[in-house]
Amino acid sequence: MLRFILRRLLAGVILLFVVSSVAFLLLYLGAGDIARQILGVSATEEQVAQKTAQLGLDQPLIPRYFDWLTSAVTGDFGTSWFTSQPVVAAITSRLAVTLSLVIGTTILTAVVGTALGVWAARKRGAADRTVQIVSVLGFAIPGFLIAIFLVNVFALNLKWFKPTGFVQLGVSFPGWLSTVTLPIIALAIGAIAAIAAQIRGSVIDTMRQDWVRTLRSRGLSENRVLYKHVLRNAGGPALAVLAVQFVGLLGGAIIVEQIFAIPGLGPVATTSTAQGDVPLVMGLVVVTASIVVIVNIVIEILHGFLNPKARIS
Amino acid sequence: MFKWKRAAVAAAAAAALALTGCAGGSGDGGSGDSAGGGTLTWGVIAQPTTLAAEGANWANESPYIQAVYDTLLRATPEGEVEPGLATEWEYNEDKTVLTLTLRDDVTFTNGDTLTAADAAASLLAFKAGNSPNASNLINLADAKAVDDTTLELTLSAPDPAMLTFLTQNSGVVAPASSAGDEATATNPVGSGPYVYNAGETVAGSSYVFDKNPDYWNPDDQHYDKLVLQYYADPTSLLNAVQGGQVNVTNIIDTSSVDQMKSAGFTANEFALNWWGFMLSDREGKLAPPLAKVEVRQAINYALDKEALVKTVGNGYGTPTSQIFPTFSPSYDESLDDYYTYDLDKAKELMADAGYADGFEITMPRAAAIPEAHWTLYADQLAQIGITVNYQELQATEFIPSIIGGEFPMTWFTLQQDPTDYQLASFQISGASTWNVLHQTTPEVEAWIKTIQTGTEDEAAEAGQALNKYLVENAWFAPMYRPTSIFMSDANTQVETQVGNAVPYLWNVQPK
Repeated sequence: MLRFILRRLLAGVILLFVVSSVAFLLLYLGAGDIARQILGVSATEEQVAQKTAQLGLDQPLIPRYFDWLTSAVTGDFGTSWFTSQPVVAAITSRLAVTLSLVIGTTILTAVVGTALGVWAARKRGAADRTVQIVSVLGFAIPGFLIAIFLVNVFALNLKWFKPTGFVQLGVSFPGWLSTVTLPIIALAIGAIAAIAAQIRGSVIDTMRQDWVRTLRSRGLSENRVLYKHVLRNAGGPALAVLAVQFVGLLGGAIIVEQIFAIPGLGPVATTSTAQGDVPLVMGLVVVTASIVVIVNIVIEILHGFLNPKARIS
Repeated sequence: MFKWKRAAVAAAAAAALALTGCAGGSGDGGSGDSAGGGTLTWGVIAQPTTLAAEGANWANESPYIQAVYDTLLRATPEGEVEPGLATEWEYNEDKTVLTLTLRDDVTFTNGDTLTAADAAASLLAFKAGNSPNASNLINLADAKAVDDTTLELTLSAPDPAMLTFLTQNSGVVAPASSAGDEATATNPVGSGPYVYNAGETVAGSSYVFDKNPDYWNPDDQHYDKLVLQYYADPTSLLNAVQGGQVNVTNIIDTSSVDQMKSAGFTANEFALNWWGFMLSDREGKLAPPLAKVEVRQAINYALDKEALVKTVGNGYGTPTSQIFPTFSPSYDESLDDYYTYDLDKAKELMADAGYADGFEITMPRAAAIPEAHWTLYADQLAQIGITVNYQELQATEFIPSIIGGEFPMTWFTLQQDPTDYQLASFQISGASTWNVLHQTTPEVEAWIKTIQTGTEDEAAEAGQALNKYLVENAWFAPMYRPTSIFMSDANTQVETQVGNAVPYLWNVQPK
């Protein structure tokens, strides 16, 4: 197990290097006059030239990249060019916000998606068809439309929730819940549809297996067959879908965070990329790539736990 | 069937319980519902670039800076200069030495007492710093403390805008001991009416400031707490207004103003910018037809300004042919309709210039501006045979390419500065950044020189002559002055500020 994790971590480091190199190159190629962007329309050409030199933007690509890389490996990601905030501080405060949304969404998705999928597979008929139709609708309606609908109904008309803003979990749990509930629902609907469809299909397939018939013939209750054996088998593919959803939610959160004015990674990702805030964008790239690596390792370990055949030696 | 119903009822009940539970807690985290007096929640559309005095930005970032710092001088809503940290000020005869007398009862939040040495250090640090407005102090040769309360500024040339600059970010004063301290970018030390509360601030979302208990001028502290709540998205800003989460706010676009009014907000209107074409290549180096004044005038006549206000400006704007603002002594109301929409006249002028069949011209465009705007601009010019070939630019390239002098004409919107000298130095004189091809004439430079060095009357006369010349010679093709709007709720009154995107902090108060 330890060797597996180490191997995966090594692969992750290589992935981080490749992704950061590509991102740096793209930022270099796509950059306009960043010093002018920072200083604004009223700055003089001298000021712009001075800023360009100060940021090292007059240096060639390779030395600039290795400057960044050697600092980054020591944990120094620099300071945002546009807000003067240290990159690590800017990202960690926002990462906690986005992760609280994404983890909340993933838990809701796993619970509701599994319940709906099992229910549909078990009941079939009208229940099954309903879940399938709802799944298709869940896929089809974009998250931001759901978000706007939820804000209008539950925040502006019914006033049950705040339409915008964010309260930190550590400050007030009810306050936090009042600000994340609608965004989580908006994010979760599409993901629930995917998980429910996956679980439904897997459970139906697994129920048809010979070994399930054998278990039933040995007198095991239907619930025990379903929840202890069938679901455990059907859970593997669903877990893979959930992992993909988790990573996808990081992207989905960008728009939902904008609509709810939540200070997560989303707004900062869009703003810093458009501005060409290289230190901040590079920090974000490293963080999101690291999350992808970690989630994949965790999912593979969980997969092994659920399915002994896939267990990692 | 029964089970279906039971499941549905249970789900609805659970949802209602969960939602009610959340609603019960929603008051805990909110801060914008105050009826004034306690907390002012201000919707801002810019995050602070820095909170350090020497790098301070202005315009949309002015509330952050005015919360934690004082300025040497202050401006009334109409732009008149009045005392700030300095109670008196006086120029020498040739206006190259400005002597200011400072208050002696001001303390910074680090416990230091304000002295003239702090003010001198702040001015020099600002001039050498990274603020986009560092060039405001380009004429400041030196700043020194004569004694603790006397500050002497030496100018390399007379600068009619200097007093106004000292009311803005260039006049911000921080303790000399914190000059150059990078930590002040996120942890500022000032003497302002509020103290930055780093603990309650959520960077990128809400910036919290508490009332400064030791402030020298309590009359300007209208609230116990100030929350600057950042919105990047027009939808979330509208939702915040409709949900009563802000007391006052700037707006991102005018399309949501009516909905905000329906939510009980008042639209406080003012003019800040002019909007139209800069006809920069008046010598015809990049586009020879623009060298003909008839062509430039024809472009002005071809603009259906009323229609542009309705379509591009969502109805918020005043058609004009001049770039000088209504509050300027150089403003001439009759010049607003010097060029009215007249296609026959425009075509006649094009024919007189030898371009009856029109010509092609390249202009830049960026995706940040709606596609429909670019189409409308091209359509206006197409009416007199001018074909616009747009060059698509990234948002980050748009302004640098224009300033770099790559285009003979371009659409843009520029600020109407509080003083004529600022306006002339920013967008008219041959040396100015926004005279992008730096083409000028001797008479224009002479008028600007008089504005800089003449008496008040001479400067006003020169400004009026300059304005008339620019309109008649069609240096620009202004479409309209967009109406800037600052929204306030039923409990808050505001006075808008001449030449600034938002009101000054002390002019926002409870009703």
